[in-house]
Amino acid sequence: MFTPGSKLFLGLTGFSIAVCVIYVALVDNSVGGAVALLSIAAATALLAGLSLFNRDGEVAVGAADAPASAEQLTASLWPLIATVGFVGVVAGLITHPIVFFLGLIALLAAGVEWLIQSWSEGASSDKVYNASLRGRMLHPIEFPVLALVGLGIVILSFSRVMLAVSRDAGAIIFIIAGAVVLFVGSIFALKPNLKKTLVVGICVVSAVGVAASGIAAATNGKRTDLVVANEEDHFSHKECGEEVDEHFDHLSEGTISLRSNPVATVELRDGKLTARELGLDKVTQTITFPRSNSATIIFRNKDNEEARLTAFLGTKAVQDGVVEEVLDCTQMIGKDHEQALTFKIAKPSMASDKPYTLTVPGLEGQSIEIMVP
Amino acid sequence: MSTKIRRIAAGVSGLAATAFLAGCAKDAPQDTWQPKGTNAKTIDDLQQPVFAIAGVIGVIVTCVVVYCIIKFRDRGQAMPEQTHGKPALEIGMTILPALILAGVGVFTFRTVFDLSKTSDTQMVVNVTGQQWWWEYDYPAQPELGIDKPIITSGQMIIPVGTKVLLRETSRDVIHSYWIPALNGKRDAVPGRVHTLRIDADEPGIYAGQCTEFCGLSHANMRMETVALSKEDFAAWVANQLTDAKSPAENTLAKEGEAVFLNQCVRCHQVNGLKKADGTPAIAAPDENVWSGAAPNLTHLMSRNTFAGASWDLLSQKCRADVWGASSETVGKKYLAGVSEECLNQTDLRRWLRNAPAMKPMYADPTKLTPTNGKYRGMPNLGLTEDDIDKLVAYLSTLK
Repeated sequence: MFTPGSKLFLGLTGFSIAVCVIYVALVDNSVGGAVALLSIAAATALLAGLSLFNRDGEVAVGAADAPASAEQLTASLWPLIATVGFVGVVAGLITHPIVFFLGLIALLAAGVEWLIQSWSEGASSDKVYNASLRGRMLHPIEFPVLALVGLGIVILSFSRVMLAVSRDAGAIIFIIAGAVVLFVGSIFALKPNLKKTLVVGICVVSAVGVAASGIAAATNGKRTDLVVANEEDHFSHKECGEEVDEHFDHLSEGTISLRSNPVATVELRDGKLTARELGLDKVTQTITFPRSNSATIIFRNKDNEEARLTAFLGTKAVQDGVVEEVLDCTQMIGKDHEQALTFKIAKPSMASDKPYTLTVPGLEGQSIEIMVP
Repeated sequence: MSTKIRRIAAGVSGLAATAFLAGCAKDAPQDTWQPKGTNAKTIDDLQQPVFAIAGVIGVIVTCVVVYCIIKFRDRGQAMPEQTHGKPALEIGMTILPALILAGVGVFTFRTVFDLSKTSDTQMVVNVTGQQWWWEYDYPAQPELGIDKPIITSGQMIIPVGTKVLLRETSRDVIHSYWIPALNGKRDAVPGRVHTLRIDADEPGIYAGQCTEFCGLSHANMRMETVALSKEDFAAWVANQLTDAKSPAENTLAKEGEAVFLNQCVRCHQVNGLKKADGTPAIAAPDENVWSGAAPNLTHLMSRNTFAGASWDLLSQKCRADVWGASSETVGKKYLAGVSEECLNQTDLRRWLRNAPAMKPMYADPTKLTPTNGKYRGMPNLGLTEDDIDKLVAYLSTLK
């Protein structure tokens, strides 16, 4: 009367109800947990009903010409993986959350695979049919997950390589890799009769090569300038004196922030500092800056010497009777480069003893006044 | 046709007629069909013919559908012979709408490019949205008499016949600025500056409303643009560039100034206001308000609305006098500001008594955890009636 599939789901239903009773009686009598467990019971009961209704997907269980089930013959790795997962879960509880989650994933994956495999192998005496039954159940899950994992490994490995090689070499590698992928992909598309084993072989070798390169690159570490910049807190530094960072952004005009609608552009040309405000088609020595709202100014260097723009944003009390200037600045940029400087001034100009200004250190007598209404 | 169907049809027709006739309202300050500026007229020049074309097509399609419904309704007749495909008709019915859309598209693109033109801008105003009011600051523009930045809120003042570039941004969430009589709408987005050009043909007060849902009091985030003649605009600028004067000693207003210094200056700036020790009183909305700003009240009584332009500072009679004035006289009447006789004390007192009760805001101190203790909007300050009397007297002096 009961098919193998329905027995499985009925067992899960009974198990969920039993756990629910124990949970409510002994652990927590609040509604949330009980609802979750009863929902599982309801879902598995529905699946049990469906299994009974369609006789486990048209399998001729109990038919006269075939035994209802066959002995399980396939050796399975899932018990071993489930054990590893279980160990990972236990070890993760006392070591690191990532170990716990990896163990949990392995345990759940092994559990599902093992259950479905065992069920399908006992579904009929026809092994081919049993295998197709398993595929119908698991392939919609296995293929996307495996593809995701494979892509993740390739992307992660490639990114490790890009972080390890120099910036110039990275650009060359990226161009070559892209061209190779395009070329090989085109060959595959133009030659549909290529041997499947050849295509699979090329893909596997490529993936393994990228993964091996990634492992090697990760072992070798990031390139020096990234390490140094990280150690010096280069990415957030605001030292407005002499530039001390060796690895500042020499290609600063490529930054995305430059497209963020600056309120003004400040230009250094022939030793003179001038500004242009958005929408006002004239050169000025005074710009109006929004109060209490972050806004961006673009600094453009047209002189031969490297220069930086420094913003004086008032003073702040650091202790009783002691105040220090609040400064913000761009990095040093070379000729024909530009960089964005984003800052916020909370108080109007009248709140500052000295005007808010933009200056270039070392350039005497040149400044742009920032007026804050 | 059954009685029930007739009744339903009559009801639907009545509703449709009511909705249609509502468009004929005389007092419709946000009517998109009454352009008063170059850009608004450019949009109108596009939307009028497009609306006409769409209307004609809509009527034709509706008539054909109704004709088919009646003509071929089920009367028990035999099923007619079914045919498949009429290539000529199908191609025709594809090409004709495509041609119509292409024609509309050409003119739409031309309009879009016309509207985005900013090279001949004559004046710039920074427009900053925050929950739930608009702030306007005018960068220094000496050629217009603006020697130093001007800041105001609720009502933006522009000279008539001048191409004004609005540089819009926001301090908190996305808002959208729209004065239908002067141009289309443009989003004000935090971290970005979007530009919108407006100009007004004749003096007047043009109403608008935030058109991007921005939170609890979105519906109470209104704004007006006041177009003045160039002479009147110069007078307005001259007034805005002055600092507020302290009221005379031993007056109620002077006592109100003390209340203001004690309560209001935490967020609201009044230029020229000094503390008891003679140093300038500097507001710190950045420390108290989530958006980091509160309206500058230096010339509060020079504008005739408050609280996000949602309530009038003018009494009903005086408001009607200013808003209903002809284009020749509206400037003078607007510049007169809010006199003692015209002050709408009722709403101003209600606001001072309990602002969140008038305009829903997140200003309950018990619910300020998400904003790190900062208000969104004006809180209930718990002022006494005595304090309110003094404050009203003081605020009345801010002209």
